[in-house]
Amino acid sequence: MNTWFIVAQILGLITICFEFASYQIKDKTKYFLVTGIGSFFWMTMFIAIGLATGMSTQLSLIVAGTYSTIRNLVFFRIFSKNTPESKEAGLIFLLVMILVALVAGVVAILNSPEQVRWLHALGLITALGFVIGQYLPGVHYVRIAVVFYAVVVLLTQTPLNILYGDFRWNIMGILIESAKIISVVVFYVRYASEPKRPGLQFAKP
Amino acid sequence: MFQIISDGGCDFTKDEAVKYNVDIVPFYVSFDHVTYLKAEVEISKEDYFDRLIAEKDWFPKTSQPNPQDYIDVYTPHLEAGRDILSLTISSKLSGSHNSAVLAANMLKEEYPDRTITLVDSLSVSMGQGLLLREIIKMRDAGRSLGEIAALAEQVRSTLRVYFTLDSLEYLKRGGRIGPTTALVGGIFGLCPILQLEEGQVTQLDNVRGKKRVLKLIEEAIVDALQDEADNIALGIGHIRNEAYARAFQVSTEAALGMKIETPIIEIGVTIGAHAGPGALGFAYCKKYDALSNRRVDVA
Repeated sequence: MNTWFIVAQILGLITICFEFASYQIKDKTKYFLVTGIGSFFWMTMFIAIGLATGMSTQLSLIVAGTYSTIRNLVFFRIFSKNTPESKEAGLIFLLVMILVALVAGVVAILNSPEQVRWLHALGLITALGFVIGQYLPGVHYVRIAVVFYAVVVLLTQTPLNILYGDFRWNIMGILIESAKIISVVVFYVRYASEPKRPGLQFAKP
Repeated sequence: MFQIISDGGCDFTKDEAVKYNVDIVPFYVSFDHVTYLKAEVEISKEDYFDRLIAEKDWFPKTSQPNPQDYIDVYTPHLEAGRDILSLTISSKLSGSHNSAVLAANMLKEEYPDRTITLVDSLSVSMGQGLLLREIIKMRDAGRSLGEIAALAEQVRSTLRVYFTLDSLEYLKRGGRIGPTTALVGGIFGLCPILQLEEGQVTQLDNVRGKKRVLKLIEEAIVDALQDEADNIALGIGHIRNEAYARAFQVSTEAALGMKIETPIIEIGVTIGAHAGPGALGFAYCKKYDALSNRRVDVA
C-alpha cells in the first residue's frame, strides 16, 4: 500500500480525535483552538492523499481545509484577544473569506452536474450556517449547525449520492463527519445530566 | 467631623446629594469638543441625552474634574475644621482620582491638621453610588473616618457591576467597537453584557435576542446572590429605560425574596455616552454591617 495513503489515514484519525474533542468543549476560545488544530490535520490529510493519488483531485479539498484552518484560527484570535481592534480586524477578514467562498461555491454549483446541484447548494448553505453558528454566542448554535453541515457532507460521501452518479465512498470522510455528529450527541447527553446552571454567570459579592 | 465628597461618577441626583449631605465634584461634558459644561450643573442629564440622540455627527466628550475643582470643594470644609472623605470614579476609567490626589497634596501644607482620605471606588455609576450609600450609612451609624475608609475598601472588594445595552450604536460612535462588529452584531441581534472588572469595563458575554437578556440576567443574579440576599445591597440604573428598570426590579425582588432599598437611578454622563439610551445596569455588594465581624484595620 502507498505510504502516503497510510499517512493520510493516520492524519484522518488524528482529525477525528480533535473534531470529537472540540464539540465537548464549552469555552469558545478553547473550542476554536482544538477545532482549528483538527482542521489543520484535515487539510494535511488531503495533501497526503494527493501525494498518494495525484494532487489535481485533492486541490479543492486542500483549499477547503486551508480555509477552515485559517477561519478557525482567526476566530480563536478574535475570542482570545477579545479587544475591539482584534474583533473588527478578524470580522472583516472573515467576511471577505465568506464572500470569496460564496463566489467560489456558486461557480462550483453552476459547473457541477445538474442532478447534484441541489446537494452542492445545500452544502454551501449549511457551510455558511455553520460559520454563522460558530460566531453566534452560546454553546447551541454551533452544535446544531455542525450537525446539518455534517449530514450534507455525509450525503456526498455515501451511497445515498450514488443515484446521481457522483458517488464517492470515502470512509475516512464518513468517519470524520460521523465523529462530529456523535460528539454533539454525547455533548447533549452530558449536558442533560449536568446540574442546571444559568446561561450567564455573575460573580458572587 | 468629616465631610463626604464624591465626584459626579456616583450619579447621585442634586436632591440626593442635599439629603445625604454629600458634596459632588462634577465632570465636564462637551459636544463640540470646545465648550465644556459642568454635568448636572450647566447641563442636565435630560438635555445631555437629548443632544446625544439628536447630534449624530458629534460624539460627546467627557472630561474629569481638574485639581482646582477639588480644591474649590475641599477648602471650605477644611477651613471649617472638617476632615474629608473623598470618593472617586475608578482610577482606571478616569483621571478624576488623580486630580483628587493632586488637590489633596496641594492642600496638605495649608491645612496640616486636617485629613483628606481618598477612596478609589474602582467603579462607576450605580456601583460607585452603591459604595457611596454604604459610606453614608457608616457615617450615620457614627463610624470614624478611619473605620469608614477601611470598611469601604472591604465593601469595594465585594462590589460587582454589570450592564447591558439596547444598541451597539453608541459603542460604535464612541469608538469602543468597530463598524463591522456593530453591523454584524446588529444583524444577529447581539446584546453585549458588560462588567466592571478590576476597575475596567470588559465584556462578560454576548446574548442573542433582547428578550432573552433580562431572563438570563435574572437567573444569573439569583444564582450569585440567593445564598445571602439579606446581606446584599443592590442598585439598578438605566438610561431612558425606566419601565424596563422597574420591571427588572420587581422580578429581581420576587426571585430573591428581598426588597431593593436603593432607588433606581438614571445613569449619567460618565458611561452614558457609550452605553446609550435603553441601557440597563445594576450593581451589588455586601452591606458594610455584614462585613463588620471581619477585622477592620484602621490606618
